[in-house]
Amino acid sequence: MPMDKTFADTVFRNGRIYTSNRKQPWATWAAVRAGRFIAVGEERDVAPLLGERTTVVDLGGRMAMPGIVDIHNHIMMGGQADLYELRFASSDSVAKIAETLHKAASRAAPGAWIVGGQFGNNLLGEMNTTESCALLDAACLGHPVVLRDDTYHNRWASSAALRLAGVQPDTPDPTDGEIGRDLKTGTLTGIMIEAASGLVERALAASGHYTAEMDRAAVARSISVLNAYGVTAFIDAASMQPIMAALKGLDDRGELTAWAVCAMPVVEPGFMFGKAGEELFALRETYRGAHVKPDYAKVFLDGVPGAKTAAFHEPYLADPVRGCCFRGATMLTVPELIRWLGRCEKLGIAAKIHCAGDAAVTQALDAIDVVRSFNGATHLVHQIAHASYIAPGDIPRFAELGVAADLSPIIWYPTIFLEAHKAAMGEERAQRFWPNKDLKEAGALMAGGSDWPVIPIPDPWQGIEGMVTRQNPTGDFPGKSLWAEQALDLATVIDIYTIDAARAAGLSQIVGSIEVGKSADLIVLDQMIFDVAADRLADTRVDMTFFEGRKVYERA
Amino acid sequence: MDAVDHIPVTVLTGFLGSGKTTVLNHLLRQPEMNGVVAIINEFGEVALDHLLVESSEDRLALLDNGCICCSVREDLIETLADLASRRAAGTIPPFHRVLVETTGLADPVPVLHTLMTAPDIVGRYRIDGVVATTDAVNGVHTLDAYGEAVRQIAVADRLLVTKTDLVSDGALAQLEVKLAAINPVAVRCHVRNGRVDPAAVLDAGLFDPAARSADVVQWFETAAKAADAPREHAHHDCAGDHCDHHSHHAHDSDVQSYSLIIDEPIQGDAFARWLDYVAALRGEDLLRFKAIVNVAEQPDAPLVVHGVQHVFHPPISLAGWPSDDRRSRLVFIVRGIPRDIIENTLCKFAAVSRAAIQRPAA
Repeated sequence: MPMDKTFADTVFRNGRIYTSNRKQPWATWAAVRAGRFIAVGEERDVAPLLGERTTVVDLGGRMAMPGIVDIHNHIMMGGQADLYELRFASSDSVAKIAETLHKAASRAAPGAWIVGGQFGNNLLGEMNTTESCALLDAACLGHPVVLRDDTYHNRWASSAALRLAGVQPDTPDPTDGEIGRDLKTGTLTGIMIEAASGLVERALAASGHYTAEMDRAAVARSISVLNAYGVTAFIDAASMQPIMAALKGLDDRGELTAWAVCAMPVVEPGFMFGKAGEELFALRETYRGAHVKPDYAKVFLDGVPGAKTAAFHEPYLADPVRGCCFRGATMLTVPELIRWLGRCEKLGIAAKIHCAGDAAVTQALDAIDVVRSFNGATHLVHQIAHASYIAPGDIPRFAELGVAADLSPIIWYPTIFLEAHKAAMGEERAQRFWPNKDLKEAGALMAGGSDWPVIPIPDPWQGIEGMVTRQNPTGDFPGKSLWAEQALDLATVIDIYTIDAARAAGLSQIVGSIEVGKSADLIVLDQMIFDVAADRLADTRVDMTFFEGRKVYERA
Repeated sequence: MDAVDHIPVTVLTGFLGSGKTTVLNHLLRQPEMNGVVAIINEFGEVALDHLLVESSEDRLALLDNGCICCSVREDLIETLADLASRRAAGTIPPFHRVLVETTGLADPVPVLHTLMTAPDIVGRYRIDGVVATTDAVNGVHTLDAYGEAVRQIAVADRLLVTKTDLVSDGALAQLEVKLAAINPVAVRCHVRNGRVDPAAVLDAGLFDPAARSADVVQWFETAAKAADAPREHAHHDCAGDHCDHHSHHAHDSDVQSYSLIIDEPIQGDAFARWLDYVAALRGEDLLRFKAIVNVAEQPDAPLVVHGVQHVFHPPISLAGWPSDDRRSRLVFIVRGIPRDIIENTLCKFAAVSRAAIQRPAA
């Protein structure tokens, strides 16, 4: 009806709407038509758009803000874990894990796989023994079991799982991986480091444990979890074919309630299997949807500090296996990385480069420097993922090269991860973790992310609080701070989770701020975050989440 | 790398109707073709019958001037490998040079890549040069209409302008300007009725490492001047007084050429790294690259490098410098790569100091 064209579908009124739009930071009213904001301002600006059919949402003075962008998560795994996997806490001891497992194994169908997680990676050493292996095998009652650690890079597999994976005592270590063996006896322990994880995960995938329908259900579950925390856009940080198929399947059914950017691995990651690189790039248009954007590539340049697989300029602490001077290594050379980046830029694909150690960061920046020098400026925003251990000299290079810092997982305050890092490289170095303030002052584009399920819940409010306080918002590690000088102010942090993350994700034309023309992704909060104490930020609850003007979550 | 024993290969290319077959027909009758293998597209197109001495099979024929004429198999690699084996086994007369005719519509670049990279080929053959025919009657139109025709001209070392007797001086000049814009470094010869001096075709590349380093340097000097000469100086006679060293730019395509002189030794590994980067990132736009390089590690043996798009021929060390001028010289024919990017990246990644980079004085 022509009349309707002049009126809004939905009007939000009486709110304290923080827009993340520097030109107009606050508003009280906003109007939506066809999923886009058509007016943002005060009552006098928006009220004329009220028609008979307009849905009015009275915010009752509550704070609203743009939907949050999660720059880094693994969208299938979170839902898969929720729906289909055995859960235990990363602080659980080996004995406690065995107990949990034993209960699950007693109930499992004969021969069925049991998939679980996530154990603390600080347990890897203790698990890598004949004794722990015996404990695990006794608990699993003959089931093939694979347990993932909190970095998702490493596994603990039962002997039955090792058999199905064809891992024998004399199986050689794969490239970039290590099959755990007891230091004294040399027997298999079930520990699988980095690429070795693939041996077990491949056997799991081949068993048909997960179906396409389960995949869609898992992704839908994950997104409903994200919506409940106020997230309405994300980058899936390792999009294999089943993930893109599930996202596209949901989008085609009108059931996708977030903007999904896919980062396609250039080579098979250690924890996911199937087509990668050119073969996967070739499927981009197949899986592109109204809200599915396969426009990123994922490059893994190193591993994680806790497992001593991250690449550092300075050596790790000496240990019996690696000796005195082990620094970790990158998985690609600079020329190899340059080739991938050059290829990606030709295809209009930006890269998300996993760099957990400072040497990996340097290498990625070096490669991007080469590419920029030869290719000139680009609209593509490459990202350094987990930009956390960074040599001081590299900090200004982010802005100079137009590289975004992907801040994930949410561990910029004392956590179990930090404890593992201290064990790997000593306390002082481990503490020089997440120089967020330095990055900000150097003009870097920064984007907040969860890396869910590396952290067990994708709650951005914990990340937001932690970026402001540098203290653990859950109450763990009370009174302790991580490099408190690197704290940021709240307005900066909100940018990092909204408009700046949208820029880093290549979505700034569509999302990230409440502005006319942008997607009507708006969240309503239970507290005015700019008025509460910093240590209350993580208590923020999302009352409602709107995606393209449609309510996709409401707190019970 | 010692390439003295490698059999030189000349690639003859040219668009449909450009007079390539007429040139070939003439060449095959010349006494200079003794000891040359001509790999041609189709026997039917060249009238060989009365020249045949023997034809043991349909693919191979010996002509009375000692030229071995051979029709290309489906695969050039196979054909060349087979010829080398037969030569070694003595089942065909020894030959010292190969002439490969490409099809009229072909982009010559894949043929060059094959010659530069195929494992069966690299150790036995080396590219001597690329000769392209273009006809004075239709050349301008063909270049406007067909990207393949532009690429054939862009990668050539020598251009044979045919049918010059059929057009006015003005039309010919128009074509010459266009050719110079696409490829100022190629030597241009006018050809009537296909009557071309075999030496003009077969000695096009000037990459004989043993005997003629002086020629190589001469070639670079000529090419460098041509690359940087303003377009009205398109012939190789730029006297220098008025040269302002603007890059050549073909306004109707975005092909451009320029040259650099570097007046300091270049670190071999840094230069190799730079080559690697430029090939990986801008290879598609690097239509032709040739360089003679003063490598710091081997100051008495200049390195000759040439590349076609992302593929580089294994570098060849010359036995010595032909004159006191030991400056490195680099010549580029590119599509949309600004000179600044080349200069900046050489400084940044090949450890070249900016002060050492000179634009050639005429």
